[in-house]
Amino acid sequence: MRLLLVEDHVPLADELVADLTRQGYAIDWLADGRDAAYQGASEPYDLIILDLGLPGKPGLQVLQEWRAGGVTTPVLILTARGSWAERIEGLKAGADDYLSKPFHPEELHLRIQALLRRAHGLANQPQLHAAGWQLDERQQCVSRGNQKIELTAAEFRLLRYFMLHVGQILSKSHLAEHLYDGESERDSNVIEVHVNHLRRKLGREVIETRRGQGYRFSGAVA
Amino acid sequence: MKSIQRRLSLGLAGVLLAIGLVLAQGSLWLFDRSLRSYLQDGLQDETQTLLSALVRGPVGVQLDEQRLSAAFQRPYSGLYFRIDFAGQTWRSRSLWDRELSPMAEPGLQQALGEGPQGQLWLIYRADYQRFGQQITIHVARDYTPVLDSFRRVQRIVLGLGLAALVLILLFQRLIVSRSLRPLERVRQQIMQLQQGQRSQLDQQVPQELEPLVAQINHLLTHTEATLKRSRNALGNLGHALKTPLAVLVSLASREELRQLPELQASLHSQLQQIEQRVARELGRARLAGEALPGAHFDCAVELPELFATLRMIHGHHLQLDWRAAAGLRLPWDREDLLELLGNLLDNACKWADSQVRLELERVAAGYLIRIEDDGPGIDAEQREEVLDRGSRLDEQVAGHGLGLGIVRDIVDAWGGQLQLGESALGGLAVSIELPARSP
Repeated sequence: MRLLLVEDHVPLADELVADLTRQGYAIDWLADGRDAAYQGASEPYDLIILDLGLPGKPGLQVLQEWRAGGVTTPVLILTARGSWAERIEGLKAGADDYLSKPFHPEELHLRIQALLRRAHGLANQPQLHAAGWQLDERQQCVSRGNQKIELTAAEFRLLRYFMLHVGQILSKSHLAEHLYDGESERDSNVIEVHVNHLRRKLGREVIETRRGQGYRFSGAVA
Repeated sequence: MKSIQRRLSLGLAGVLLAIGLVLAQGSLWLFDRSLRSYLQDGLQDETQTLLSALVRGPVGVQLDEQRLSAAFQRPYSGLYFRIDFAGQTWRSRSLWDRELSPMAEPGLQQALGEGPQGQLWLIYRADYQRFGQQITIHVARDYTPVLDSFRRVQRIVLGLGLAALVLILLFQRLIVSRSLRPLERVRQQIMQLQQGQRSQLDQQVPQELEPLVAQINHLLTHTEATLKRSRNALGNLGHALKTPLAVLVSLASREELRQLPELQASLHSQLQQIEQRVARELGRARLAGEALPGAHFDCAVELPELFATLRMIHGHHLQLDWRAAAGLRLPWDREDLLELLGNLLDNACKWADSQVRLELERVAAGYLIRIEDDGPGIDAEQREEVLDRGSRLDEQVAGHGLGLGIVRDIVDAWGGQLQLGESALGGLAVSIELPARSP
């Protein structure tokens, strides 16, 4: 999952980037409203966390521009302006959720999870259910029936992405775009390696390879 | 304070009555004066005629009857004379058995003398020298016909005057109510202002009212601008305080601190106290309260947006409804009411199983707001406790326990009543009675 964080308060942004990276998200961070308006519309983010009081361009305007430009990425507004009148303004501008500062990091994780699931048409449950598998995002492990499998951080990221896109064909470059932030070196071989690790842990049929197209998570077990 | 209309009517009626009476009485008096002086000339002529009728006859001076007016011969005819001459007195025949007493002063007498048959005499005395003798001639004329006609005129004038007064008052009422219409319009607009049906007074008013209306409008704009500015400043302050607080909360949740649970718990609780305090005080400072007379909340415009927001926050599994009379407008600031309803509905949504309902109603004493849910509700014994300040209604559901605190602040600022009860839906019913704002 690749997230865009737009926040001009550097200490808070540092905290959030560190915290969300630990949660297995790839984070791009921007502090200026104008940069955000451009990058949010051009990069394929899975979710955007947007502060409203931004230098360069107000957050609400940035959001309106994205929506006017056809960007459908879920947007979570993170702001100190928590009155209901302002909340309504934010959601009217096209936000999907609203979290007022200060917030507990746990609360933010839950909101992000819920938004991502809603964006992919899944019910909001404590654990991510897909094709018979259950992903525990806190423990970063996956289970099926009584069988519980530990995952590395990279495997967890990849599996979460697959489980949110069950049955879809995902190319290596698409996966790279959504699993790594803008700064990282994107090596499609790394994805291949992690896919193989997942197959070894969950079973060969879980992810099938479509030659020349990419991967498809079916969740099937032999 | 008496109405301007009444005061004008009373004042005008009084003035008209006083002036009318003085004028009528004064003109009668003047008329009487000039009539008497006219009659004096006539009486003087009569004395001269009488004087010239005195002739020296065979038995001394005598009165030539032929030269006298016939009225002197007919009894009580209204015209009389008395001639005092060398110790003897001659009376006209018309006096019959009455006496015309001699007067002390020559000329027309001020007082009217009493005559027969209720007659009132205007008496004139003239002194002459003739035949080497002192001759005093009194002539009297009945004045009652004139007085009668005066009285008749007086009655007619009184009747006419009264009719004129009534007419004038009617016209005056019409004119006054017509020219006071702009005032009445302004009064109505101020009422509408109080009820939140308009935000400014009409500028199209007569010159006299222009400064007043302009000043009221200016004050309204000024108050609104001040409120906006202070809300903005509070927003900035909130931003400046809450962002570092968010950093601190995040830092306090760090992995490294997990090793020191007591320290972490203490940090969390202190931070939470700061956070609640800041949110509560900023929230309270944001309230417009009663400051804005033109403020209003249009249910049909605001509620759908509020409910869309709630649906987005709480997902779509809840059935959220609101009911309000078509076109219902509440006379309070939009942001205050959104804060009130938002917090209460948010709470209801957190607790509800499947249904939340909002009802807004105009009642005789003001407005009634009812928010119901089908959640677990609150036991009767606990309701008091929950209503107490600082008590957290939503401790078990993630979020901040400020909802009810700020709601109480708002309701108190408006002089309303907050009550918790049982809902027909099975859960909690929060009812708020708000008094109508008096103009």
